[in-house]
Amino acid sequence: MDASHASELQYFLEQEKQKAVLNELVGKLTDVCWDKCITGTPGSKFSSGESSCLTNCAQRFLETSSLILRRFQSLQQ
Amino acid sequence: MDPFSSPPPSGSGEGPSNEVVMDQVKQQLAQAYAEEFFGTVRDKCFTKCVTRPSTSLSGGESSCISRCVERYIEATGIISRAVVTSLPR
Repeated sequence: MDASHASELQYFLEQEKQKAVLNELVGKLTDVCWDKCITGTPGSKFSSGESSCLTNCAQRFLETSSLILRRFQSLQQ
Repeated sequence: MDPFSSPPPSGSGEGPSNEVVMDQVKQQLAQAYAEEFFGTVRDKCFTKCVTRPSTSLSGGESSCISRCVERYIEATGIISRAVVTSLPR
């Protein structure tokens, strides 16, 4: 296998790995936020409250994640 | 043929082309993702729609399950957009 052949594959795998990480994050957030936001029986359409709850939930989860990370980092110093 | 289990034949060229390997990787990832997604949606919708299991799924339970599946897919899209917009750039 020549060098350009190998690095093309390496680049591809790196890209796929990033996509997989992102997919996993979306899957995790959907799981958590579904339980938090969709409390009743699912209807034929989301209410505007439900969809904005999902959006807020995802964004606040990420914010919480970086907040805790920073807290941990400051504890280590 | 499976590029992961068969070593490239020596001498007679370069083994499977990158294109073949990439296609296989993509296909396997898609398969794994679909299986996991199926499991999650099944668990969520079973919990939500089948609260007291009886001898068969009622019409109401079945239609709840259909709506639940549609909403879960929609929720995944909403979350996905929310994540993409808040990613650090």
